[in-house]
Amino acid sequence: MNWKKVVSMLLVGVMTLSMTACGGKDAGTSAAGTESANAGTSAGTEATAGDQKLVVWTLSQDLVDFGERYQEKTGVEVETVIIQPADYPTKVQTAFQGGEKEPDIVVGEPQMLEDFYDMGLFANLDEFGAKDYEGQIVDYVWEVGQDADGVQRAISYQITPAGIYYRRDIAQKVFGTDDPDEIGKHFATYDAILDAAKTLKAAGYRIFASDSEINYFSGDSAWVVDGKLNVSERRVEYMDLVVELYKQDLTAYASQWATPWYMAMAGEVPILTAETQWGTDEMNIWDAENFKEATADYETTEVFAFGLPSWGVLTMRDNVGDTAGKWGVCAGPAYGFGGGTYIGISANSERKDTAWDFVKFCTLNEETADWWIEFSQGDTVSLVSALEKHADDTNEVYGGQKLYSFWLEQAKGIDYSLVTRYDKQIGDAWGEAISNIKSGAMTKEEAISNFYDLVESTFAGEIEVSRDLLK
Amino acid sequence: MKKRKKNNLTKYNNMGYVFVLPFVIVFLIFNVYPVLRTLYLSFTNTKIVGVGEPGWVWFDNYVRCLTDKFFWKALWNTVKMWGVNIVLQLGLAFLLMMVFSDVKYKMKGLKVFRIVYYLPNLIAATSVAFLFQTLLDWRYGTFNRIILEIYKLFGMQYNPVDWLGSGATAPYVISVIQTWMWFGNSFIMLMAGVQGISNDYFEAAAIDGAGRWTIFGKITLPLIKPIMMYVAITSLIGGLQLFDMPFLMSNASSASYKDMQTVVMYMYKFGFTTGTTQTGYASAIAYVLFLIILTVSVIQVKLFNRKED
Repeated sequence: MNWKKVVSMLLVGVMTLSMTACGGKDAGTSAAGTESANAGTSAGTEATAGDQKLVVWTLSQDLVDFGERYQEKTGVEVETVIIQPADYPTKVQTAFQGGEKEPDIVVGEPQMLEDFYDMGLFANLDEFGAKDYEGQIVDYVWEVGQDADGVQRAISYQITPAGIYYRRDIAQKVFGTDDPDEIGKHFATYDAILDAAKTLKAAGYRIFASDSEINYFSGDSAWVVDGKLNVSERRVEYMDLVVELYKQDLTAYASQWATPWYMAMAGEVPILTAETQWGTDEMNIWDAENFKEATADYETTEVFAFGLPSWGVLTMRDNVGDTAGKWGVCAGPAYGFGGGTYIGISANSERKDTAWDFVKFCTLNEETADWWIEFSQGDTVSLVSALEKHADDTNEVYGGQKLYSFWLEQAKGIDYSLVTRYDKQIGDAWGEAISNIKSGAMTKEEAISNFYDLVESTFAGEIEVSRDLLK
Repeated sequence: MKKRKKNNLTKYNNMGYVFVLPFVIVFLIFNVYPVLRTLYLSFTNTKIVGVGEPGWVWFDNYVRCLTDKFFWKALWNTVKMWGVNIVLQLGLAFLLMMVFSDVKYKMKGLKVFRIVYYLPNLIAATSVAFLFQTLLDWRYGTFNRIILEIYKLFGMQYNPVDWLGSGATAPYVISVIQTWMWFGNSFIMLMAGVQGISNDYFEAAAIDGAGRWTIFGKITLPLIKPIMMYVAITSLIGGLQLFDMPFLMSNASSASYKDMQTVVMYMYKFGFTTGTTQTGYASAIAYVLFLIILTVSVIQVKLFNRKED
């Protein structure tokens, strides 16, 4: 009866093999998935086949362009994979903790970096001599790229200080001047902004398209100090300002990034109110054509200003239309910044030397910086020598204003010690509280109390919440 | 000779262990290990797995969870969505079961209807979410358009309802979608129960002069009770673990989000969201949810059994 044993063993073997085969098939599919993604995003990188290769995981198109440029210059093949921001941290974390040798280059936005540092995701750039380049990159960018022990982990090729983009022609009519320093005085404090908003409304304009324009300048203190939640007086003033802007019809009631918001950059937009925005049945604020049709009979206005980081230059460039040349940029009520892509080397990478060469190429190479300024048509690089070199460059969209020197000045004012890992979550919770007050869903007290509850429950044991504003 | 045969048989019986071995290995790796590891993590202050040395906090995460008002809010949202869903889902499945099992109607085409009713369950959740987001769009959704046209017929003004953007409607919309997806499944289960009942009972009852409702109440219903219990318990377990639909159809910045956030979405916030990842706490939430489901399931079984007694 030994044949029965043999058959049994064979059957078990087949079962086990089929299970293994299933696993193998899965791996195959996921690899194929990655390859197709690569093919889609790294178009044009196949032409030059170098003897080395780098795999880059990123969040936006920028690194694809840098990768192509690097491949062109060095012959090293660069495979760039763009991953949606919502999935990015999980994918990077899974690959890293699974011991994957690729990607070689990983990027992060400021709000992701602290977790990445704690995870040990980034290689120590000081071991490659990053310290030698200290001072060549704008200070706050250099600091963002350092972990809690001051070890350099990532570097960004761009700076992202925030500024107020305003219409010079409207400024001239309403305030009698279009000088950035003078106009900056109308944005120097929240009270000044509210006064300017009322003046502009009386003259038939609206100060902002949305009420989110001051968000980048909303704090001059850290959200968390010594493990305690810190809601400064200025945060509350910001809350009051946003609520007043909304309640007194001082904005055009556009949602940031929606059709009317973009339209406002090019000139006249229909005057919406909270009611018209949410109460009519013929309007879709996300559909440009429909919005134009639906609001054809509306009274119109022009919007005076937008609050955006330096990358807003590119957003404005694409949307200002006939108002090109009529814009200026001035300082806001505080120093602030928003976003930025930081490039680092995966600690698991086996091609760290080439990867470091790539990081240097993207961030510390003046020739690349010159190319990027031209290629991106106005992005603001972080390399100080390039910024100084281009300090006298004028931008015709902004009436010939020297933007690079302006951004450099703004970047110098950024105090990175005010940035904490909790900013995104706490900022969102504060935004929710403001929305609750604006919409009348809660009183100010209720909204603030709910904000405290949310922070307390989200960061229990990490952040002490003393509820000072309710005392 | 006889003894030798017996030995061979015993040996042959032992081969069963070899047959189940591959399954057991896979089960241990992919089921038992994660369950135990999650239990271990729930007693630690682990933020991100693999980062730093986790410290023991014992029951702190559980205490935190039980005193977290946002957890209870998420649980209430889940129960609300599940409650409406289960009533509609089982109600509809029950109604259809009554129609198709009726001894006098003898409805035809059961096989076709079974397939048609089950179809929504075969569509990927992402597709269903996209479909309903389009249909329920507050400006251009077919649903609002139809209502608008009906109002116009009567010369009335209709202010479109933002079905997915308003906290007052969004959770119930999810319940209805869940019902649409799952009533076919419940129907098939209940029908299988009915078809398992011997025809002799029905014939005997008919001969004794029992009417339609008497047959249904005295024969069909008591005999499908085990299936009903199975459907109720699986729906409860699935319902309290609700995640995909509300997750796909809500937007964290929307006003309705706080009314759509389920327990598993709340757990996801701490398990996988950048900036709030606290794996230890997420694990504790998972276990608290497990204990809640276990408790409610036991109560459900007891209630069913008591009725039977």
